[in-house]
Amino acid sequence: MTATLQRESRSRTRVWSVFALPGIGWLIGFFLISVYAVMAVAFGSADPFLKTAIPAWNPLEWDFTTMSDVLDEVFTGYLRKVFVRTFAFVGLALVGCIAIGYPVAYYAARKAGRRKGLLLAALVLPFWISYLMRMLAWTNLLQPDGLVNQFIGWFGLPDDRTWLDGEWHTVVIGLIYGYVPFFILPLYSTLERIDGRFIEAGRDLGASSFQTFLRVTLPLSVPGLMAASVVTILPMFGDYYTNSYLTSGSPKTEMVGNQVEYYLRIVGQPQRGASLVLVLMAMLFVLMVYYMVTTIRQQKAADR
Amino acid sequence: MSASRRDFLARSTQLGVLLGAGVPLLQACGGDDKKTSSGKDPIADGLSPEKGPLRIINYADYVNLEVIADFEAEYGVKVEISTIDTDTEATTKLASGAIKADVHHSMAGTSIGNLIAGGLIQPLNRSYIPNFANVISTFNDPWYDPGARYSVPYTFFGTGIGFRTDRIDRALVDEQGWDTIWNATDFKGEVSVLDDEREAFTMAMLRRGVTDINTTDQAIIDQALADVSELIDLVNVKVNIEAYKDIPEGTTTVAQTWSADLIAGAAGYLPEGVSDEVLGFWHPPAGEYVVTNDSMGVLAAAESPVLAHLYLNYLLDNEVAEKNFSWVGYLPAIAKLDADYVIAAGYVPEHLRNCVPTADEISKALFLKPLGAEGDAKYEDAWARFTAGG
Amino acid sequence: MNPLRRKHGSAPVLAMITWVYVLWSLLPILVAVRISLNDGRSRSSFQPMSFRWYWGDPTASLWHDDSMHTALFNTLRLAALTMLVATPIGVAMALGLQRWRGKTSNAANGLMLVPIVTPEIVFGVALFLVFSQLYTGVPDGITRQLLGHVTFTISFVVVIIRSRLAAIGTQYEEAARDLGASRLQAIRLVLLPLLAPAIFASVMVVFATSVDDFVISSFLSTGESTETVPIKIYAGSRASSTPALNALATVMLFITLTAVGLAAALLKAIQRRGGEEPDSGSGLASLSG
Repeated sequence: MTATLQRESRSRTRVWSVFALPGIGWLIGFFLISVYAVMAVAFGSADPFLKTAIPAWNPLEWDFTTMSDVLDEVFTGYLRKVFVRTFAFVGLALVGCIAIGYPVAYYAARKAGRRKGLLLAALVLPFWISYLMRMLAWTNLLQPDGLVNQFIGWFGLPDDRTWLDGEWHTVVIGLIYGYVPFFILPLYSTLERIDGRFIEAGRDLGASSFQTFLRVTLPLSVPGLMAASVVTILPMFGDYYTNSYLTSGSPKTEMVGNQVEYYLRIVGQPQRGASLVLVLMAMLFVLMVYYMVTTIRQQKAADR
Repeated sequence: MSASRRDFLARSTQLGVLLGAGVPLLQACGGDDKKTSSGKDPIADGLSPEKGPLRIINYADYVNLEVIADFEAEYGVKVEISTIDTDTEATTKLASGAIKADVHHSMAGTSIGNLIAGGLIQPLNRSYIPNFANVISTFNDPWYDPGARYSVPYTFFGTGIGFRTDRIDRALVDEQGWDTIWNATDFKGEVSVLDDEREAFTMAMLRRGVTDINTTDQAIIDQALADVSELIDLVNVKVNIEAYKDIPEGTTTVAQTWSADLIAGAAGYLPEGVSDEVLGFWHPPAGEYVVTNDSMGVLAAAESPVLAHLYLNYLLDNEVAEKNFSWVGYLPAIAKLDADYVIAAGYVPEHLRNCVPTADEISKALFLKPLGAEGDAKYEDAWARFTAGG
Repeated sequence: MNPLRRKHGSAPVLAMITWVYVLWSLLPILVAVRISLNDGRSRSSFQPMSFRWYWGDPTASLWHDDSMHTALFNTLRLAALTMLVATPIGVAMALGLQRWRGKTSNAANGLMLVPIVTPEIVFGVALFLVFSQLYTGVPDGITRQLLGHVTFTISFVVVIIRSRLAAIGTQYEEAARDLGASRLQAIRLVLLPLLAPAIFASVMVVFATSVDDFVISSFLSTGESTETVPIKIYAGSRASSTPALNALATVMLFITLTAVGLAAALLKAIQRRGGEEPDSGSGLASLSG
């Protein structure tokens, strides 16, 4: 009986499409067409007087000069530096997220014992605290006379460090701080679901607990690790506020998002800004597809 | 005055520069200035004011609301202010009809040409604006609006160096001029330049003695880019428009900044117990001094054009202008409110006298003019390179 | 719980890392809250406590600075409206996608997932351009921000609801229909109550996402009257420099935590009434896929 609904013929299940229609219409109208607008603007032109975009809605009229300029800059020009820096920041932040997030998720999922409830609450709490408030907190702490400098002063280290003048490590730490909560939870849910019998089997076969971890737990957690990494780094690639917020406008920490914002919002070269967005999307395409494919697979598995 | 207002002003300045770009092109395309403007004549003399409401577009906090209330009381009308963020936004929205208004309160010099060419503002009938006589005489014939037929000046300020007199010797700044910023290696991380491609590159050009600051010569722009980029390693330069608070608070020691920033800084941003003596301002000599101003105008689509003229007249009244200045912090282009006056009245400390551009300095000033889309793009692309790390 | 887990013994190093992390993640927030209570202007060190930046200061305090009220009001209004619009659309879409089979459905499912993996800056730019170039008739400001936030959050609702739907299965509904209920009655009387926890979770996630959003709100903001709290905090880092900003963030924090706390309590009450196991964290965990 359970399966009756699911086994209904295609024509019968089509009734359900009515429910999905408003959402589909919405996403087509405001998401797909919006993304198309980015292309129309990128491959269009701009009003020479008002500097507003003149989108080319018809693909036959697309003009790729701006895009090829942008690509030139990305591969051989000044934008390469920006992209390399962005990838470096995101990469380092991801390493940090794994280094901090994996042990925490592992502990919470498998070792926390009685304190698990409390720990979970603490891990979820940052979700409900505005990202920019958390960054605000760091700008408070990192002031020249702030608590971070006082703290390192206790250990006899120089307490007059500057943190907010364009230091790359401040940006990386800020990114880790900002995104690690989003990393921990997906990983936690994977680690939590790993069947304890596998681990027990590893132990029974004489492996030490560390060996068991390496041979059993770690491989089994790879899908969660990947999912967690993807959901963390995708938004990081588009981040332009963490770095500018934490370094008061230093040219040393500019990321791709800053260039997008500059061309689109500060000065009127919308085609250039839109082209950069498309380049960024193209670079992230593989990650996006990976996430979607795994999610769809899981949905199918859950429906079975 | 509010901080966000300054943000907006800065953005408007940089955007205005870009927006104005269309004018030379328009002219090149054969649309000569007189022809396009003849589409609309000034309103006739002696009309009685409309009943309002008077609709104004302006940046946030860029007019004293008490002045508005006084105007409402005097003319028995209601004033409605639409707030805009940037100069571009104003032009775009006016052009598309998204905003309808009678008075444009703060047109950047660089965008006035476009507003005229686009038929968005109307020529003024000076008979309604007797207070125009109060305006500093240089503004009778400004570069952006010959003969001041379409605009009256609102506020003005110059670009120079703001610095901490308790950390860097005033005489040294006077001696070094713009080099002060490149030589401030003792103050790494405490040096900033304006977040505006035209302003920052102009500084680099003036430092090398280039006074054709509206050049579109790629070699000169590239040199300016190289010079400004040096600042990244030399002094760990910051790029922002917050010197008005950062210098008083001490996080910045030397900054390329606007003269009004020091006046505002002295008035409102010094920590308790710090004297305004710590604030210093240097600007280049007359002839190399960049002066910028905002203007007011009446929109072509105004429904209350007479009232709008009366409003412009009201703001140019000596006392009203003073009352407005006391709150807004940007100097009005009113002859009576010269350095002597604003210092005696206590609005500006004596040692910041040079924050008030003199009539002579204004008459010899350099102006950042529209460059056309291509010219602007050269500066923008150079700027993108600089902010990308040089 | 897994009975074998205990055998592995305690893991002192892991425990230390974990609790240090928890401290690290939460202490700065407490510091920021403490700084909002400073009597002076310092945003870096502790000063004697007062409510100066909440209401004491006649111009710059939260209570007296209109732009801060506006930001707070805008944020909450936007979040509330986003919840009201995105949740029903998302729940219906989840139901539809779960039950409707076929190629079009698969494509729609793919479309639904794309927003989740799209970096916010792409979202912000796309919405900014489509409104300024195509949907120019849509009033700017809050309306555009609302449409943007709904677009951004619908998919979260769908994912959360779908995972719950998969867990519920169809047997309850089938039973109801066997007893003579119509399809819609079965949904209304049987399925929706069963979905209640997931709907609550979605509402909370939508609320938090909207309240937290900076990029989309900022790209669609048209000036002070449409600023939200995140925009204010971002702009404030550079422009103003008083602990009033911390006060604003603190108030926002308390409002959010109270709302979430109340929702969680309500959810528990409902579940207890329905005699169900409380289903902790299923909403958020399901987001991870």
